[in-house]
Amino acid sequence: MHALKLLLTLFALIITGPLSAEEPQALFQRFCMDCHTGDSASANLDLTKYLHDGFRDGTLIFENLATSKMPPSDAVQPSEAARHEMLAWIANRQPETKPRAFRRVSRHEFVHSINDLLETELDLAAKLPEDRGASQFDSDRRIQLSPQMLRHYFSVAEEMLEHAMPTDGFVNERTWVTRKLKDSHPTYNIYVRDYREGVLLSWTRANNGNSYAFFYDNFEPPVAGWYELTVDAAKVGDFEEDISIQLHAGKYYYADDRPQPQRLLGVVSVGNRELKATTIRAYLHPGESVSVHCYSRHNFRDQNPTQGAYIRQLKARGPLQDGWPPNRFQTLFADQLLSVKSNGPKRGTLPDASQANSSRGIESGEEMALNEEQPKKKVWIESDRPEDLQSILHRFAERAYAAKLSVAEVEPYLQVALRVLERDNDLVEAAKAGFKAIICSHRFLLVPGQHDSEQRARKAALARVLWLSIPDTKLRDSQAPPREQIAWMMRDERTDRMIESLCNQWLNLRSWNTIAPSLKLYPRYDDLLDHYLPLETRAYLAHLLRENQPVSHLIDSNYSFLNQRLAQHYGIDGIVGQQLRKVSFSPDVPRGGLLTMGSILKVTTDGFDTSPILRGTWISRNLVGTPVSPPPETVKAIEPAHGDEATSLRARVEQHKNHETCYACHKRIDPYGFALESFDATGQWRTRYRREKPHRGTFQYRLDGYYRLGASVDSAGEIKDQAFSDVFGLKRILLSNERVIAYHFAKTFFEYANGYKPDLRQRLELHAMTGAKDYRMKDLVSDVLIYSLDGESR
Amino acid sequence: MKSPTRRQFLKFGAALPLAMHALDLRAASKPKSPRRIVFICNSLGFYAPYFFPKKRGDLATSQYLRHMETRDKLTVFENLYHPGMETSNHDSEKSFLTGTPKPEAPNFVNSVSLDQVLAEKMGGETRFPFLPLSIYDRGWGCSWNNRGVAIPPLHDESRIYNKLFGHEDLTAKRRQIDKDQLIVQCLYRDMERLQREAGQAAKIDHYRGVIAELEAQLEHDAFWLHEKKPHVPNTLDQDPEFAFSAKIKNLLELSKLALQTDSTRVITFSMDWVYGAIKVPGATGGWHTLSHHGGRQDQIESLSRIEADIMRHLNQFLTDLDRIKEGNGTLLDHTTVIIGSNFGDASDHTCNHLPIIVAGGGYQHQVHSVLEKPTPLCNLWLELLHHNDLDVASFGSSDRDARPLLS
Repeated sequence: MHALKLLLTLFALIITGPLSAEEPQALFQRFCMDCHTGDSASANLDLTKYLHDGFRDGTLIFENLATSKMPPSDAVQPSEAARHEMLAWIANRQPETKPRAFRRVSRHEFVHSINDLLETELDLAAKLPEDRGASQFDSDRRIQLSPQMLRHYFSVAEEMLEHAMPTDGFVNERTWVTRKLKDSHPTYNIYVRDYREGVLLSWTRANNGNSYAFFYDNFEPPVAGWYELTVDAAKVGDFEEDISIQLHAGKYYYADDRPQPQRLLGVVSVGNRELKATTIRAYLHPGESVSVHCYSRHNFRDQNPTQGAYIRQLKARGPLQDGWPPNRFQTLFADQLLSVKSNGPKRGTLPDASQANSSRGIESGEEMALNEEQPKKKVWIESDRPEDLQSILHRFAERAYAAKLSVAEVEPYLQVALRVLERDNDLVEAAKAGFKAIICSHRFLLVPGQHDSEQRARKAALARVLWLSIPDTKLRDSQAPPREQIAWMMRDERTDRMIESLCNQWLNLRSWNTIAPSLKLYPRYDDLLDHYLPLETRAYLAHLLRENQPVSHLIDSNYSFLNQRLAQHYGIDGIVGQQLRKVSFSPDVPRGGLLTMGSILKVTTDGFDTSPILRGTWISRNLVGTPVSPPPETVKAIEPAHGDEATSLRARVEQHKNHETCYACHKRIDPYGFALESFDATGQWRTRYRREKPHRGTFQYRLDGYYRLGASVDSAGEIKDQAFSDVFGLKRILLSNERVIAYHFAKTFFEYANGYKPDLRQRLELHAMTGAKDYRMKDLVSDVLIYSLDGESR
Repeated sequence: MKSPTRRQFLKFGAALPLAMHALDLRAASKPKSPRRIVFICNSLGFYAPYFFPKKRGDLATSQYLRHMETRDKLTVFENLYHPGMETSNHDSEKSFLTGTPKPEAPNFVNSVSLDQVLAEKMGGETRFPFLPLSIYDRGWGCSWNNRGVAIPPLHDESRIYNKLFGHEDLTAKRRQIDKDQLIVQCLYRDMERLQREAGQAAKIDHYRGVIAELEAQLEHDAFWLHEKKPHVPNTLDQDPEFAFSAKIKNLLELSKLALQTDSTRVITFSMDWVYGAIKVPGATGGWHTLSHHGGRQDQIESLSRIEADIMRHLNQFLTDLDRIKEGNGTLLDHTTVIIGSNFGDASDHTCNHLPIIVAGGGYQHQVHSVLEKPTPLCNLWLELLHHNDLDVASFGSSDRDARPLLS
């Protein structure tokens, strides 16, 4: 190994000349000045001026040098050490910029942290306003805490505390069994029929293309909470694939001409021909009934169906508790005396609905009228001693703030709690008021917080970045070196939150729901696909990070995570069942890597046409990091749309070539997009464009859509003087400089973790970090975290 | 340790002087009549040949409008439309007050509706910043918040009455506000202690500004908690025969009372629809079915009975407002009422040529204004924002060169 390194160094010496302690200026002289000097300097950049006088911003020079864009590939290249020396010189000349010292916790961090503090699982981030504005990352330090946001934090904190410890007590768990389906629109009842002990459904979409769902009307959750939904179902039909049953939550409105947009709770994949019970967990709100939709490409709108999904019944159980009293009481009140007081019959004494209803058509919910007063059980703490309250709040505040606190520091919160104790004579209510004050304090809402030791500060930062939360007991007590801490934290499932955030913020999947593929052009696009496409990306990114895969897999690999629906979409055979699994591709499959994933290909379009410029910008901004500035305001934008002939689009985009100001940047953006022209707006492979055909009157969904085939796709292009004919060629070019990808990922992750872009001194470190030959994802994440937390805890 | 009682706290807490201040302000601003606005969207539109005057400027030539009593205080606009919604469907109702195109797309995300922007500006001084109403329990209407989320309208007349004028148990609400006010005081004390620590000054200053605004909002809530609701007798109509008709009448009556008592200054009434048959004087049938009359005269006649009935109630509403004296004029002079629809023609689901009436509001009304070319409805929305001192450059799909429609 050493011998090899030595050999490489010698080789480097031969091509670049001896590595003496050359002055940086001399290095610039040698590698750059041939072109960048005088009045006719390339790109209008006279380095002599930069080197000798100015405080000109060196960022662009730094980036071009760091990403080996300069010196150009046909010129003599500086050695690694020489390049580093030049970069260091630029970085040290750059005037220092300090980011804001603190930021507000994001809405996701807020909700996750409270969930972890209270041992709840509430998804309430949607109740908090999206305050990100134009920033890419939620952590951006330029985003301020607004009064509106604080008001929302107050009310969401209240809701979470109330859910964790309801003032009136907990509703008893119950079971409902129902077999009675109701169609949302009388004209659709032909697609479902009575079958054995239940119903047989075929796949139906409403005329506007929405998944058509049938409602179970006899179950309505009495309170918001987690419920178990068990479906007894079997596949009826002579085909290999599973049938998917989608369970939705939503309020049923007869008043509407179609079912309302609903929340997909989960998918039951049915391959069994005998009845089988499958259970999913779902969070439901009062008033949300459960509906079912079935998908199988073999039975679209079969009237009086003979094949499809046979559903015998739906069983709902809940609201679920994780024990009695719920475990959180042990955590929050620990050594205090717990006592359970019930305002009604204990669990189990209610009649079990599942026994009362065995024959078809009985509305089993009925005998327990939905609006009847529910008996409730309450947990009391048998104490009114201020000392108890003090220790409860003290422990909670230390967890929330990740700090050791003095009695004086807890005093204001205790005052609130004591006031409520005096008013209500209920220690739990008093503690809830104190907890709320603690989580609405600036110590919780503005980070970094105040921690009494460097070590605790670092742990708090790690938990915030990896888990979007607070340190748990294990992390608090851990004495392991940071790298080990990061390693086990990344294995923990809470890191899924960071992976989701990266998908949403870095890869821009947060725009997912704003882009709806045209049902005229892409009639096969459906809810199920819409649900699984982003999950593929999440599973893939999780794999890269957790399994420490090479950075090159961001661009290309021979595998991804697919299920039956995704495999159908990608034209890959033999994948049965809707659980995601790792699938290996043969070399002729264009998938593997992010840029050929359906999710990315969809989110870089408007749902109708694909845009080489949008896709090119996505690759260049998120993966390659080509520094580009927004188009100058005086420029008249080219608004390309695939006209009747696709060549005209390409011709229009290529107009960029005619304008020097445009082409300077677009030559590095558009070609990426040209390579991806082989994929339509849903990410399917295509060789010809689709042209929309008009429909008569109101749009009526049909499987064949409304299109004809237009011109052939041309996916060839040229980037950095290297020609490619298709996406395989583009991937090869992108991978020819793997370090650029690694360096850009390091910079992106730094910004995600710290809430500001690294300055040039920091970039110098990040660049050095990617100097090793083998760039791996988990290593890079650990390196960036350790560097930014240790060196930069500002 | 001795802590002050709740009563003492309320007495000496920060809330009281500010509440007094607010009272003073209210008293001082009494003589000036406040501006109010009402939006009414009939989701199935109006049969155009019966709605628009046949002879330009002459309401007598409109079958629906010839009975209007406040004809010198209204303008019927022709040729307004929502760009990007020419071939929409019933979902176009979602965009009536937002102008966001393609509401029929499965993954449509709406934007903030006009009434909400106005409520932000005009709603601060009343108990209810705005009042969203609908006929049925559907969960959404024309009001959408600034995140594009539907604000569920109220549809149950007796509940609306109770909310506006009825006695309610304020204990839970009062406890909530009390608790939040306690917490705000606690957070102030928390900051005082921390200010002494070095390096936290910027953070604390920032937080202090934010918490002060929250404190003021809580005071608004607490203030209205202590104010008695106006006393209004319950005169809701319980007509078992014409339930639909009675519902429209009641909701408009409640709107009138809410305006008259200054309980709110922004009302949005989404007239939604159901499949089932409804009965109005002279006709029984599915409102939606009839709206797809396909040009058949018998169906048009039945439909026109429903629409004429709605128009009768709207006329009554405007007339009532105009009979209530306020300041130098009438309540109608200080209330802009928009009556319109998301559909130009519900029979074939087209959204151009929308029927729009602007009534009241103290404008120099033109009775009937036929615009030369199709004009975005958002131009009118933008103008309403400007009339209410909201200085914005555009709203929804408003044109760049929006010319004034009202004077």
